[in-house]
Amino acid sequence: MGKSSDTRYIFSTGDLYQKDFSIVFRKEDGNFYLPIKDTRELYCFNEITLSTKLLQLLAKVGIVVHFFGYYENYIGTFYPKEQLLSGRLTVAQALAYEQNRLKIAGPIVKGIAKNIHFVLYHYYRHGKSELKDYLDWLRKDVSRLADAVGDIKQLLRIEGEIWARFYQTFRLILPESFAMNKRVKRPPDNPINALISFGNTLLYTKTITEIYHTHLNQTISFLHEPAERRFSLSLDLSEVFKPVLVYKTIFDCVNNRKITVEKHFDKKLNYALLNEIGRKTFIEAFEERLNQTFEHQTLKRRCSYKQAIRLDGYKLIKHILEGKNFVPFCMEDKK
Amino acid sequence: MLTGTVVNYYTHCQRQCWLFYHNLNLEDNSEDVRIGKVLHELKKQGKEEIALDGIKLDKLTAEYVTEIKKSDADLAAAKAQLEFYLVVLHDKGIIRKGRLECLEKNKQSKSVHTLMLTEGEIEERKVQYRQIEEFLNRELPPPPIRKPICKKCAYYEYCFI
Ligand code: SF4
Repeated sequence: MGKSSDTRYIFSTGDLYQKDFSIVFRKEDGNFYLPIKDTRELYCFNEITLSTKLLQLLAKVGIVVHFFGYYENYIGTFYPKEQLLSGRLTVAQALAYEQNRLKIAGPIVKGIAKNIHFVLYHYYRHGKSELKDYLDWLRKDVSRLADAVGDIKQLLRIEGEIWARFYQTFRLILPESFAMNKRVKRPPDNPINALISFGNTLLYTKTITEIYHTHLNQTISFLHEPAERRFSLSLDLSEVFKPVLVYKTIFDCVNNRKITVEKHFDKKLNYALLNEIGRKTFIEAFEERLNQTFEHQTLKRRCSYKQAIRLDGYKLIKHILEGKNFVPFCMEDKK
Repeated sequence: MLTGTVVNYYTHCQRQCWLFYHNLNLEDNSEDVRIGKVLHELKKQGKEEIALDGIKLDKLTAEYVTEIKKSDADLAAAKAQLEFYLVVLHDKGIIRKGRLECLEKNKQSKSVHTLMLTEGEIEERKVQYRQIEEFLNRELPPPPIRKPICKKCAYYEYCFI
């Protein structure tokens, strides 16, 4: 499935246009050719000019483009029109939302707990015994609680508690300069919040691209309200990957001093945002994790974490269309 | 409505046939297929196809209708597809023989296969096509069956996840 890396990140300003069968990026110090064959996804982190003619080409070949503003804020996605569509699936997806929302949302919440458990267990084994209560709760209680809920609101309360207690563990795992008291979303007001927001947005956009390559309708979601964002299904499917892709990357970067407050955050903005080197460093570490492979236990094939996101899309289709139980990606089971 | 591809897939794998018919087409996943499609789109001019009633013919001459396949990997499926063309043409009063050309021969000793259908066989095929249509109207696809062909199938991940 695909190449190890078919994502291009653009950090400088410049023009994007089509020449013959290539995408050309013209910036101050020269032209860069992006072969269409190896490109599936573009990230633009700066001011880019592009033409309708290029968009037409991107649409034809199904290249998704994500745009970010100067302050790392996500602006939106160019979502090519020529996507895979199946009338039968769309109808079934809407019915599943109407009739069986908890059958999909419940496993997502349980999946979050399992994957957080996986990530934190590592620290527990290395001497952080204070984690025990939370780990036990994740392992023994969450599943039972999630199975007992009668509506989505109760389920969301459990999810909220999982994350809140997770954030409280940061003071045990991270150096003081990064530990946080509360999670602030927009705008992030300290380094750790900046990393979380940036990481979550990257994962969200990755998920948009993966879902683009399935037949799922991006607007019909199950855990999140369908109206929450235009691609709210991506919010749903990215949730279980946050611990293993976003948080694990953050912990590794911070604890191995690949990212430090002094060097990688914007001093002018009171260290509340990554600077350009910080952003590049984080993206590199994040991409590396995404492209890491493991032996998939059901498929008996090697598979990258990025592919695992798409595979969760397939699981969802299979649940919706054929009634197979939906169990999102679990780091421990490798499936 | 049936098409040549659907008949081909029905012979190849019924599950694939059902999924494909309902537009759950995962073929685009393969990088080669995607690029092939792109190039095809970008330089559309060139070879013309004759298209009518669910069939797209590679070539139609006074004697033969010709179908060109990349390889002879599933000859039975390719033949079923060609027979479908013969039946559709027959209903329009166009009587032809079928000619199947395989660009790569891996499994068979020859690369060109010809075939003909008698009136009786044509009637039999029509009964079979009605059965395929009923099959396609089922609520659910048949479950996957592990076969050697699954390994290379675009649906592998979907089928066995
Ligand atoms: S993977 Fe196997 S069962 Fe599934 S559609 Fe392909 S050939 Fe059929």
